[in-house]
Amino acid sequence: MIFAENVTKSYANGRTQTQVLKGVSLEVKKGELAVVLGASGSGKSTLLSVLSGLETPDSGRVVADGEEISAMSEGERTKFRRRAVGFVFQQYFLLPHLTAEKNVKLGADLAKNGSYGEILAAVGLGEKRKKYPSELSGGEQQRVSIARAVAKNPKILFLDEPTGALDEETGRSVIDYLLKLQRERGFTAVMVTHNENLSETADRVIRMNSGKIIAVNQNGRKKSAYEIGW
Amino acid sequence: MIVGVKDGFKFIGVAVVCACATFVLTFFLNYRLDALAVDAGTLSEEARALYDAQLVSAKITCAVTGGCLALIAAALTVFYVGVYIDSRAQRLGVLKALGYSDGRLAAGFLAFGLSVFVGSAAGHGAGYAFSPIVYRLMSDGLIPLTLRYHTTLTVCLVLLPTALFAALAALCALVKLRRPALSLIRGKAEREKHGKDGRAERSFLRDCMLKTPARSKLLTFFVAIAGFCYGTMLQMSRSMKELSSVTMGAVMLLIGVVLSVTAFALAMTSLTRANAKTVALMRAYGYSLSECGAAVFGGFRLFAYLGFAVGTVYQYGLLKLMTAVVFRGVAGMPAYTFDVKAFFVTLATFLVLYEAAIAFFTYRIGKTPLKNFIAE
Repeated sequence: MIFAENVTKSYANGRTQTQVLKGVSLEVKKGELAVVLGASGSGKSTLLSVLSGLETPDSGRVVADGEEISAMSEGERTKFRRRAVGFVFQQYFLLPHLTAEKNVKLGADLAKNGSYGEILAAVGLGEKRKKYPSELSGGEQQRVSIARAVAKNPKILFLDEPTGALDEETGRSVIDYLLKLQRERGFTAVMVTHNENLSETADRVIRMNSGKIIAVNQNGRKKSAYEIGW
Repeated sequence: MIVGVKDGFKFIGVAVVCACATFVLTFFLNYRLDALAVDAGTLSEEARALYDAQLVSAKITCAVTGGCLALIAAALTVFYVGVYIDSRAQRLGVLKALGYSDGRLAAGFLAFGLSVFVGSAAGHGAGYAFSPIVYRLMSDGLIPLTLRYHTTLTVCLVLLPTALFAALAALCALVKLRRPALSLIRGKAEREKHGKDGRAERSFLRDCMLKTPARSKLLTFFVAIAGFCYGTMLQMSRSMKELSSVTMGAVMLLIGVVLSVTAFALAMTSLTRANAKTVALMRAYGYSLSECGAAVFGGFRLFAYLGFAVGTVYQYGLLKLMTAVVFRGVAGMPAYTFDVKAFFVTLATFLVLYEAAIAFFTYRIGKTPLKNFIAE
């Protein structure tokens, strides 16, 4: 489903170039949940932007859903993201002037998905669909943002530190909602986090350090966030 | 210093509006004051009719222009102060937490009066420089007038507005700063008032288009004002060729373009800044640039054209009033009829310029780097 080969990415920092990804290669199979673990500055978020088509690598290949996105133009990548990708961000980025339901429509409309109400109900927010983000707790807002991404019927869901702004208990519940939706809908998910506890919830764990992948482990059986006692 | 001298000069929009207003008011009011000093009894019958008409015309023009532009400048002041405080909320919150009173912080905003001073002083100077031409055109060789400098005008058109707008800026700041220090530091916006939730079946893009103007009422006002100024001044400038002179027409054209561009650019740049995150999110999800542009700017089109329509009616009414009532009996004054050709030419240029500007700002809004957004 996702295949990256020898990917490099640098950013200009004043006069100096900082290489953030140093020849990263990886593979994530269809329907898997891959967790990318690493400390701050290890290149996780850059890897996520390259794998999702938000950015192009300096060199190397990225193939996602059978298409070589590293060779695509900006317009083609936009169309690819529209067709195949969903995002969940640490800071939720819900539109404050729209209700939870209307925020979910941002994703649902792209897939012409009329049953977005069911997804809101699946993340436990059926009753709160008319609430504005400012009337929801942090965990509820993140669940809306997951519903927004899933309502788009993505083939691949990218999650950037989805529990980073939440307390432990809320984070656990958000991850369990996510695992439930993934089980039901079968999309591939790539989650970037520095939370070691989440590694046992994944099929594949990719560890990064200083722009390189230092280890890839596969779990036999995914556990729920509650099972691992996090 | 809370608001530096440099910040005081950043009030460009207000300075431009003040310059335009003071420019027009200077030569019309100076003309009126000098004309009032003339012994009307010594004038011929023909000259007397023109004299009376020009006095009333100067009065009406000053009241209308001064009133409209003062309103726009006041709205701009309120807007700028709000934006300034929102963008520096954290710093101001820290100062409040350290013990600075609202009054002391708000007093710093008096510096915004500097822009008003610079704008109105420039407009006042330009008005005097242009006065000899206006005197020649308005007196038509019939009224013996000498251009004199009036200190009162400098006080009323430069010093008084500077003081008033500085006070308005400080007052606005005082109201905006009445929030707990912690709420400013955390950057929490004042609780947004939510209007009616749109119909559930309405698409996300349509919702955005309808809600953006409703959420930014002041910016909607500026877009409407841009349309109004363009429609009014450009059509009037065309009519001025017959009613007054090509020079007066050119002055109106210039003022119309400057005012509409200032108001429109201010609204669009503010919208671009305020919606950068929304657009970055939409782009990440795969919305095209044109869809993003429509979501952010699309809802303002109606207000721009509405402003243009009101401007068209307004300029027709004003010119009809001037020619049919004020200048009635003045020799050589042509009858005024609605200039259909001028209307269509102005409408066509407005349409092209407006859509080109929207395309430009849509392109600019798409430049928000998605990576910055994801790494935030």
